[in-house]
Amino acid sequence: MAPMTCKNFLNGLPLRTEGTSSRDAEAHIRNCPSCRNITEDLNAIHSAARSWGGEELEPPAHLWTSLRSQLEREGLIRDERDPQLEPSNSGWFGRWFAGLPRPALAGGYLVLLIAVAFGFSRPVNRQVNEARWLEGTQVSTSPLSAQLTAEQDSFASFNNSNPVVTASLNKNLAIVDNYIALCEKSVQEEPQNEVARDYLYEAYQQKADLLAQMTERGENNR
Amino acid sequence: MPEAEAIRLAQQGNAAAFERLYRLHNRRVYSLCLRMVGNTAGAEDLTQEAFLQLFRKIATFRGESAFSTWLHRLAVNVVLMKLRKKSGTETSLDELTEPDEESGGPRRDFGGPDLRLSGSIDRVHLQRAVEQLPPGYKAVFVLHDIQGYEHNEIAEIMDCSIGNSKSQLHKARMRLRELLHEATRDKAREDRKAASADSGGED
Repeated sequence: MAPMTCKNFLNGLPLRTEGTSSRDAEAHIRNCPSCRNITEDLNAIHSAARSWGGEELEPPAHLWTSLRSQLEREGLIRDERDPQLEPSNSGWFGRWFAGLPRPALAGGYLVLLIAVAFGFSRPVNRQVNEARWLEGTQVSTSPLSAQLTAEQDSFASFNNSNPVVTASLNKNLAIVDNYIALCEKSVQEEPQNEVARDYLYEAYQQKADLLAQMTERGENNR
Repeated sequence: MPEAEAIRLAQQGNAAAFERLYRLHNRRVYSLCLRMVGNTAGAEDLTQEAFLQLFRKIATFRGESAFSTWLHRLAVNVVLMKLRKKSGTETSLDELTEPDEESGGPRRDFGGPDLRLSGSIDRVHLQRAVEQLPPGYKAVFVLHDIQGYEHNEIAEIMDCSIGNSKSQLHKARMRLRELLHEATRDKAREDRKAASADSGGED
């Protein structure tokens, strides 16, 4: 039987690089420096790529914040009160407040968030029309703000069956309101800062979660 | 929260479930995007776009394929779409390879360079060479050799046959070999020039 030619060897190379090799091909490689070089090069490329692929890279933290804001804007995140979903549907902030009264925990967390918010609100280039941008921000957040105020007013109408719990809830609400005020200030100072805007939305979300918790407690106490 | 539960809850708009799915898969998707486009800003945009598309379509996920395969198929499509737009043409996947090689089988390498790459492939050179690959080759190479997918998974992700995946991978590796040899020759030429300039300066 005639020895394998370079042409035949190269035609079968895609299969051989996947680990399938014949005795003829092995014999050809031993006697043909050119085909041996090609095979070794391809193996070297494969090995270098595999060692590169061993590292999985972490995307920056702001990516989730930005993605979540977009999901909320598109209405893909729905805060339904489905009893089946209740254990996980209250969101991460809601779970923190699940065991109210926990003002110290809430306060500590808010201090951390405020520090992060200030960290992101460093001066950057003012190349956009700030007044127009701010107008847009106010238009997009004001309905949410008004809705939250209405919810807060309706909560005030519940019976204060437990003055201690009510005082604690009001204290938490005051902390969240302060945080919202700080975020609004950051957005006004740096209207082009998307991170500051994201934090403002996040703050409104926190207030909504807290009001939901308060409403639930109020209904349970009726 | 297990992935299946997170998928079910995300289909109902649950925020925590969306975040859980994001945290489970963000590294792999981001790594894929970064290796395909070669820069962090582009990779972030593409990762966000891939997850947005995922969450927009998650209500239609019926579990016929693995969730990760479905997600990576979306991510690869997002990346290929971006690369197509960048090249300014709307082309099919096959056209994203080098067309002259499509009908002719593996590139003949008779009389090719006798230099050997073994031991000389560093990360930077490989990355530069991968960036120069046509998008179709690049996708298969990144998925198989870098990300570690099998050909049957790549076939599903890229909507092609297993044989096509193997063939594209081989062509990608052969093209990379050429690019790496070119880079080696260019460097050797520059070194010679620098050496001769140095010796000329000393005379």
